[in-house]
Order: sequence, then structure tokens, then C-alpha cells
Amino acid sequence: MAKQQTEVRDLQEGSYVMIDDAACKINGYSTAKPGKHGSAKARVEAKGVFDGKKRSLSQPVDAKIWVPIIERKQGQVVSVDGNDMQVMDLETYETITMRIPEDKDVSPDEDIEYLEMEDQRKIV
Amino acid sequence: MFPGATDEHGAGDAAGQTADSVDANFVVVGAPLDVSTTFQPGTRFGPRRIRTFSEPFDDYDYRTDQHFSNLGVVDHGDVHAWNDVSAYLEWLKGTLRDAVWDDAIPLVLGGEHTVSLAGVRAVEPEVFVCLDAHLDLYDAYDGNELSHAAVTRRILEDVDSVEEVVILGARTGSELEWERADADDVTIVSPETVAEPSFTVSDVVDLEGRSAYLSVDIDAADPGYAPGTGTTEPFGLEPREMREIVRAVAPHASGFDVVEVNDRDDGQAASLAGKLLREFVFSAASSQ
Repeated sequence: MAKQQTEVRDLQEGSYVMIDDAACKINGYSTAKPGKHGSAKARVEAKGVFDGKKRSLSQPVDAKIWVPIIERKQGQVVSVDGNDMQVMDLETYETITMRIPEDKDVSPDEDIEYLEMEDQRKIV
Repeated sequence: MFPGATDEHGAGDAAGQTADSVDANFVVVGAPLDVSTTFQPGTRFGPRRIRTFSEPFDDYDYRTDQHFSNLGVVDHGDVHAWNDVSAYLEWLKGTLRDAVWDDAIPLVLGGEHTVSLAGVRAVEPEVFVCLDAHLDLYDAYDGNELSHAAVTRRILEDVDSVEEVVILGARTGSELEWERADADDVTIVSPETVAEPSFTVSDVVDLEGRSAYLSVDIDAADPGYAPGTGTTEPFGLEPREMREIVRAVAPHASGFDVVEVNDRDDGQAASLAGKLLREFVFSAASSQ
């Protein structure tokens, strides 16, 4: 999986992080003052990019953590078939099949933006 | 650890269970904040006192025919408090939100009343029901918007989900607080009204189909029953009246706290606090 390592202290709201092996977008970041003998801790609240599930973690700020590398790509809808659509990547011209989100309405020839990490994709 | 609960960190309890072996229905979190107490301090010892003075209680509840240790209560331990109250509340809210995300009910052991703000932010209820001697409706006390004397005002103004506040047992406040209490989103119920034999919670608030958060400031009790609190106020509620309110609200509540217990008595306040927490759990569990 495309990912890189960083320290918890370098995370921020709006960026990505791996929690429970899932790529998540951070929507809450708070820090706790260290106790007498402990190191400062950070708490991250995040939402799965591809599954929408809420997750959190609490770690010392100097702990190492993985950040997923998510590509933002341009595509064009080639055809729509029920809940699925064929999308052509406008850079590589590769055609892929994607599930149409319930809250989206797409039609052929429409340009879309989507996030991609390995074989997981999501329309922005 | 709260007696009958399971240690979230896996040390187990008398029943030999660990957190992994039970699905948490309730999560106890100690919040020993003791920063803005205005008269007698000591709420930093509240969670420890409540756990200690709950030890003699029987595991079995005759009224609901339930064992406390079978109800999926997990003790997270205390969330260490520090002087930056805003940052602490944010951190505490996150811990409580984990419980909410796991479909469990957070049970907060205060700590000064300010910690209720974190609980309400985590739960996002529609109604905040509170047992309290004081209105806690100051906009700021001594310039501090996060004073324990301003917590109900903060909940009204800062938590968008809260439509209504009901304070039972209130018997004192400043003139400005009483003026704020006249607004439509606040209902004050005096100790005398609560004491009427015909009184029920449904007389003052409709909880059907609405989510509630129940906060018990132990000073709602008459100080003769709970002297171990920071700002005692005579002519308060009887413990049995508080118990009836807790039983009535618990089935509708998705969050609970008991706050303002300190170490300045022989355990009366902590004992009452622990018992009311257990009443909440028994009533909430038996209604599910």
C-alpha cells in the first residue's frame, strides 16, 4: 500500500492517516498536557475515506504513524449501468468500473474527480 | 475501578472478565477537574471517592432483578485533568465520544460541573436534564466562561443540538441568572415542587422520542445528605426524590454524569453519587 511514515505531532485536521488499516481523513485533532511522568499525547478523530466509518486514536505525539498516499485524479464518465459506471482516467486513458455513490447523479461524458488508493476509489 | 465494572485496560474484575470479553453498554470515565471550584475545592478526589464508597453496594438489584456486573459496564479510568480547561474538555469529549461511537452510554464521574460540557458535546442530546442546587447560568463567573457556575449557560449556547434545559432542585442564583432562566428554553423546578407526592418528570418535560443527557450535581441534595461538595445550599432534595428522577430519565438518556463530589465529608456525597449512578444503569438497562 502506498503510504509514508510521520510522527503523530505532524498530523493536522484535513490530512490523512491510517487507523485500523483504513485510510481516514482527520476531522478532529486535540492534544493533552503530559502527566508528571508521561509524554504529551494527541488524539485524532477521523472518518474512513472509502468506508465512511468514524475512528479515533490516542498516541504520544512522538509516536510514528502511517499516512496513506491518496491520489486525486480526473476522469470522464463513459457509460452508466445501474449502480455502476465506467470511468476513463483522463491521464492514462485506462477505463475502470466504479460504484455510483447514492448521493451522486452522473451521466455519460461528465468529467469527475476521484480519490484513488490502490484499488479503492471514491468520487470527490 | 467502579465496583462491578470491567477494567477497560484488561486487569479484570471480581468476575474475572476483561474488556475484551464484554461488549460495553456503559463506559465509566473519571474526570477529576478541580480548577474553577469557587468555595471548597476537592472535586479532584471525586471519582476516586465515588468508586470507593460504592464498594459496599450489593451487585444484585432487587427492583429490576439485574446484576450490575452483568450489564456491560466498563471502567475507562480517569482522564487526567490539567489547568487548560478548554483543551481538557476537548480531550475528554473525545474520550466520551469513543463510547458513543461504540453505542455505549458514557457515565462521567466528576470533577467540577464544567465536565458536563464535554459530556453533552460528545452525546449531542436534545434535552439537558440537570439536578442542581444552582442555576449555573452565569454568562461568565469572575470572567471565566468555563467556570462551573456557567456550565448550563455554555451547554445552552454552545451545543447546537440542545433545545431545552430542565433544572430540578434549583433554589439559588443571581438576578441575571434568574432572568436568563425566564426564557423558553429553560425550565426550573423547585425542590418544593419535586417533593410533591404527585410530581413526575413528565410533568415538566416531554422526553418521548427525544434524546436526553442527565447530569446530577450532588449539591442538588440537601447538604444534610451530601455535605461533601463545594458549594452547599440548604433546603435541597431528598435522596429518594433524586432517585425517582434518575429512574424516570435514564430510559431516555444517552449520557450521564454525577459531579461536584469532594472529600470534605465521611463519604455521604460519594455514596449517594455512586448509588445514583447505579440506579441510572439499572433503569437504563432494564428499559432496553
